[in-house]
Amino acid sequence: MAILEIKHVSKFFGGLSANSDVSFEIQHGMIMGLIGPNGAGKTTLFNCITGYYPPSKGDVVFDGRSMHGLQPDKVCKLGMARTWQKVRPLAKMSVVDNVMVGALCRTGSLKIARDMAMEQLKVVGLEHRSGFLAGGLPIGERKKLEVARVLATQPKLLLLDEVMGGLNPAESEDIIQLILAIKGLGITQMVIEHDMKTIMRISDRIVVLNSGEKLAEGSPQEIVSNPDVVAAYLGSE
Amino acid sequence: MKPLFKNTTGIGALPAITGLLVVVLLFLFPRFVENTYALHIMILIFISIVMGSSWNLLGGYTGQYSVGHCAYFGMGAYTTMMLMQFRQIPPWLGIWCGMVAALVVALIIGSICFRLRGPYFVLASIAVAEILRVSALNLKNITNGAEGILTTEIPPLKIGGALITDFSSKVPFYYAGLVFVLLVILVTWLLQNSKLGYYFQAIREDQDAAHSLGISLTFYKNVALSLSAVLTSLAGSLYAVYVGFIDPSTVLALDLSVQIVLICIIGGIGTIFGPVIGALVLVPLSEALRSNMIGESLINSGIVKADSAFGSFLTENLSHAHVLIYGVLVVVVILFMPDGVLGFAKALAARKRKEVV
Repeated sequence: MAILEIKHVSKFFGGLSANSDVSFEIQHGMIMGLIGPNGAGKTTLFNCITGYYPPSKGDVVFDGRSMHGLQPDKVCKLGMARTWQKVRPLAKMSVVDNVMVGALCRTGSLKIARDMAMEQLKVVGLEHRSGFLAGGLPIGERKKLEVARVLATQPKLLLLDEVMGGLNPAESEDIIQLILAIKGLGITQMVIEHDMKTIMRISDRIVVLNSGEKLAEGSPQEIVSNPDVVAAYLGSE
Repeated sequence: MKPLFKNTTGIGALPAITGLLVVVLLFLFPRFVENTYALHIMILIFISIVMGSSWNLLGGYTGQYSVGHCAYFGMGAYTTMMLMQFRQIPPWLGIWCGMVAALVVALIIGSICFRLRGPYFVLASIAVAEILRVSALNLKNITNGAEGILTTEIPPLKIGGALITDFSSKVPFYYAGLVFVLLVILVTWLLQNSKLGYYFQAIREDQDAAHSLGISLTFYKNVALSLSAVLTSLAGSLYAVYVGFIDPSTVLALDLSVQIVLICIIGGIGTIFGPVIGALVLVPLSEALRSNMIGESLINSGIVKADSAFGSFLTENLSHAHVLIYGVLVVVVILFMPDGVLGFAKALAARKRKEVV
């Protein structure tokens, strides 16, 4: 059974359609890549899936359950967590406190939450920063903090919105290894990414959006050889 | 970037002992000081700490700036006074009713106003407080309207026939204030070391991020407002019974709401002792300016001659400008200490430590 089913999701902002009739499924344990040119509606789709926008039409089924009308906090509690394209550290709280806020989704005890948080900081390699203010971290570490924080909510499905945006090649490589390690933990992931080489490397399957519609879906090999995709990215002849 | 050496699980030995000593001294204070003016100032400071700390739970920790907190202060004050004057219910029972009344108002306001964010919430909070003020002004048969309510007699507090106090001096109010202060500080401390406190701060730092981490925004904002409102009503009730007179323009006024916010901003927002420092600075300052203490002491000590031009300026003109001076001083403090007195002191200490190293 698929962990996430997106069924004919459309989202309109007034007369503008940001997503129209998008459907696909994500299977357990895989990494699904979501790509498309700027303005293709990738982040809007994330917002529809995680409860920030109610879809105008269609439904999102997570783990056999419709997400219709659920607020983001409920969605998170059910096991679907997201990161943000523009990182959102809780700036005046320490790094470990940031991750603890995520962990408190599963426990009421600060002590247990602290242990869980330290564990996740080790996973992303930020344990040496635990006492620092989150607002003072450089961008690469902020992205890692973002991942540690959502991991602490113990998700079954993780939605990563451009976690490599704005990073240098070495930092990106760190994040790639992290994504593969998270896959090793058995957590399903959907990843928005702009860098084609990266997305081809990590994804098991890829969905391409263009102007809000699903343009193509398939394995990375199928996607690179799809003439529609090439046309959307490079322009048709 | 600087690391935080924050010990969140326990308190150091030195601060604990100092704190205990201060509390003991405060409890003994009325035994040694019989000066009623000193007691009066202390009680005003206590009331300010209670209302500042209560606001701090909502504004400082949860980041929801209410500039209508006089609503809850007024609910406490009016409920307690109306029950005492019109229904002969003693204030130590009326206070509980005041807390319930403030809670009810908070739940109504919260369910409406928390749909709004940032500046819109601020405006809505002011509007709601104004609605209450105008209502109190016009519901003459319940609240006495603009005439206000004047205490004629406070029933003495008896436990099983034994007289505890008859409220004839300021001392019982002093102790009530002190207990309330300890209560709000305890609540703040407990909050800082709990899941609730973490969630409040997460909402303050970034609402959308908090929402995505499983935090229900409406629920936790309402919890913060309710807690804050109930504690603010304590300050209102104490004020009303202590002063013995309330009317809409004192306990339901925008001035009061601003005063509550200032206590926190001056002291340091989102910290346990910020409102304490704020009250310790603001109350004596406004009292000194009101009574023209500074000008008179300059003249009495002989620095300025009473019959000189500057001396007569001090006695004649300056004493009437105390609100103006107060305002200017507040602006100066906010300009030069954006994190409040407490934040300024911490930054200063950190700089000293660096110099030593």
